[in-house]
Amino acid sequence: MKRKHAGSALLLAAVLALSLLLGACGGKDGADGAQKDTVEQDQPGTDAAGEKDAALEEDGSAGTKKDAAGTEGEEGSQEENPGDGSDPSAAPITEYPITVTDQLGREVVIEKEPQTIVSGYYISSSLLMALGQQEKLVGIEAKADKRPIYSLAAPKLLELPSVGTAKEFDLEGCAALAPDLVIVPAKLKETIPALEELGLTVLAVKPEDRQLFTELAQLLGVATNTQGRAAALIANGEEELAELTRALEGIERPTVYLAGNSSFLSTAGEAMYQNSLITQAGGTNVAAELADTYWAEISYEQLLAWNPEYIILAAEADYTVESVLADEQLAECAAVKNGHVYQIPGQIEAWDSPVPGSVMGSLWLTSVLHPESYSPQQYQQAVTEFYEEYYGFVPEI
Amino acid sequence: MDSYRRYKRTGWLAAAILLVIGAFILSLFLGKYPLGLADLLAGDTQAGKVFFTLRLPRTIMAVAGGFGLGAAGWVYQMVFRNPLAAPDVVGVSSGASAGAAAAILFLSAAPALVTAGAFIGGLLAVLLALGLSALAPGKGHGTIVLAGVAVHSLAQTVLMFLKLAADPEKELASIEYWIMGSLNAVTLTKIGVPLLVCAAGLVVLFLLYRQIQILSVEEGEARLLGVSVGRMRLLVLLAATLVVTAVVSVTGLISFVGLLAPHTARLLIRENGKTALWLGGLVGSILLCGADMLARSVAAAELPVSIFTSLLGAPFLIYLMMRRGGWE
Repeated sequence: MKRKHAGSALLLAAVLALSLLLGACGGKDGADGAQKDTVEQDQPGTDAAGEKDAALEEDGSAGTKKDAAGTEGEEGSQEENPGDGSDPSAAPITEYPITVTDQLGREVVIEKEPQTIVSGYYISSSLLMALGQQEKLVGIEAKADKRPIYSLAAPKLLELPSVGTAKEFDLEGCAALAPDLVIVPAKLKETIPALEELGLTVLAVKPEDRQLFTELAQLLGVATNTQGRAAALIANGEEELAELTRALEGIERPTVYLAGNSSFLSTAGEAMYQNSLITQAGGTNVAAELADTYWAEISYEQLLAWNPEYIILAAEADYTVESVLADEQLAECAAVKNGHVYQIPGQIEAWDSPVPGSVMGSLWLTSVLHPESYSPQQYQQAVTEFYEEYYGFVPEI
Repeated sequence: MDSYRRYKRTGWLAAAILLVIGAFILSLFLGKYPLGLADLLAGDTQAGKVFFTLRLPRTIMAVAGGFGLGAAGWVYQMVFRNPLAAPDVVGVSSGASAGAAAAILFLSAAPALVTAGAFIGGLLAVLLALGLSALAPGKGHGTIVLAGVAVHSLAQTVLMFLKLAADPEKELASIEYWIMGSLNAVTLTKIGVPLLVCAAGLVVLFLLYRQIQILSVEEGEARLLGVSVGRMRLLVLLAATLVVTAVVSVTGLISFVGLLAPHTARLLIRENGKTALWLGGLVGSILLCGADMLARSVAAAELPVSIFTSLLGAPFLIYLMMRRGGWE
């Protein structure tokens, strides 16, 4: 014990300071990684940008508009970009066999017009319904019964065998169905070689935002020879958004907090699909400063500091508007004080994810934030028209 | 030499107390809501509310929770005579995780229910582990470890099933975030009961500290010293586990504090007595409070606190280990 303790204490302090620093620098990445890794989400648009970047890097120009449209027909017969033709009658016909580029940048040859399709992802399933392909579906993703769109638009689909989830794909079950075309989420990259070994034609899809959804619609339009309908669907969404932009010109944008599905204190930052929903609807996302690409956790304090004028609950939130209004920690928050707490309607589809009808989410939110510029009646009419036209049922809203 | 040791002990203890006080005060004025002493003194009601229902409870929870985890960690390491012993040895953490997951899945993600679920889960796990070991014919501390390992894997299996059944977008996200631990949802109403339980457990541990030390020597010797080894061990473990369960039921799992804090204390003062117990608790407080401050202020979003407890604690522990003399 003959040591200089003043010196040792100094060193200790230095190390503590260093580790503090380390903590400050390294912490964020670590946390992001952890959150990304541990939460395997089914919902697109909430997907990790890191993953997106990695995929893009490895596939070069994958998923760009031209590629996804897949116009380089093997015979070189196809020149037009189907996405441009908004007039269905002028829509190009797909001539098989055709080579398309899927959303992982893979070149896939489709030999003939698919008569049987397996869709392992709820967005592609919903899109195929909108393209009028429900009769050709022979297998769909798991937990479809939890999504009302099936029972509303095509209850027969619920009787189809499930091919699993984005976490666990049922390879054998899928092979047993011997479909002409298999559509899987890009997350299932690892299973694609196995499916191809089994002689199946596989398209990987990654509809994470509006742009990628548009590309997907074009891709499936080409693959299933429904280019006209796909183009009309895309044009419909763009028109609705253009109308919103017109209606909201120069309007004051109230602040909005979007509370996530799993917890009231989780929210969507700028990189997430939900952010665009808020901006399109003429609102300002209080959490836009968050760089997280997945739901981020915040504290009550942070929410009180943001003091949003509106609190919007995700469509599939586990908690209710009442519970938020009754939360005593939030009593002083502007949105709660004025009773401006609403939940995105989820009785048809989760409009806060890039499903074909996701624009309806923006329309709904606009009618909530700016009823004087865009009335609830306008919103209801738009929803009715959309689901009648593309899904063949009249929604109750 | 003795007086030198005593000075050293007192010195470190005083330094740790000062650091805890410093961290406590700093933590009170660090956070997302703009809040200064001036706002409070000016009688800003909103600022006052944020301070008393959110900021203060969170800080108290960090300091008290860190102390509880650190002190309990010391107890586990002593009783099991194993430098790696931690609440997991008797399945507490996994039991609490399974309980929290069950609450999230079957009831709701409402914080109060999750806290209750975690508490019940942790308690069930430890009662099961201790009960099993009491029933077993051999009464060595190896039996407890084995029973603990069994209960731990059982709870992990339950947790796995619950995760499998959970909706990935909703419940699974809540479960995962809970397991990573965070103090972001601590409010005044949530901390009352857990803190009482924690305090009760700590009082028992401090009262029994001499017996704990005896438990840490060879079993035969302990028996010679007149301690009913089996019963005493159960009582001590139960108290330590109560402390841990009470803390993690509010905060979610917090890694490394229970492991790092006692070692740090021992390496600082190079002895294993009552001072080490105190110092272990205080180091835990500093660690958790510091980690929580970082978790809430490094990024715009809240980060899991466990990242910072290990980032702060591990380098420090390594330094202590490497320094001349090292572990005695």
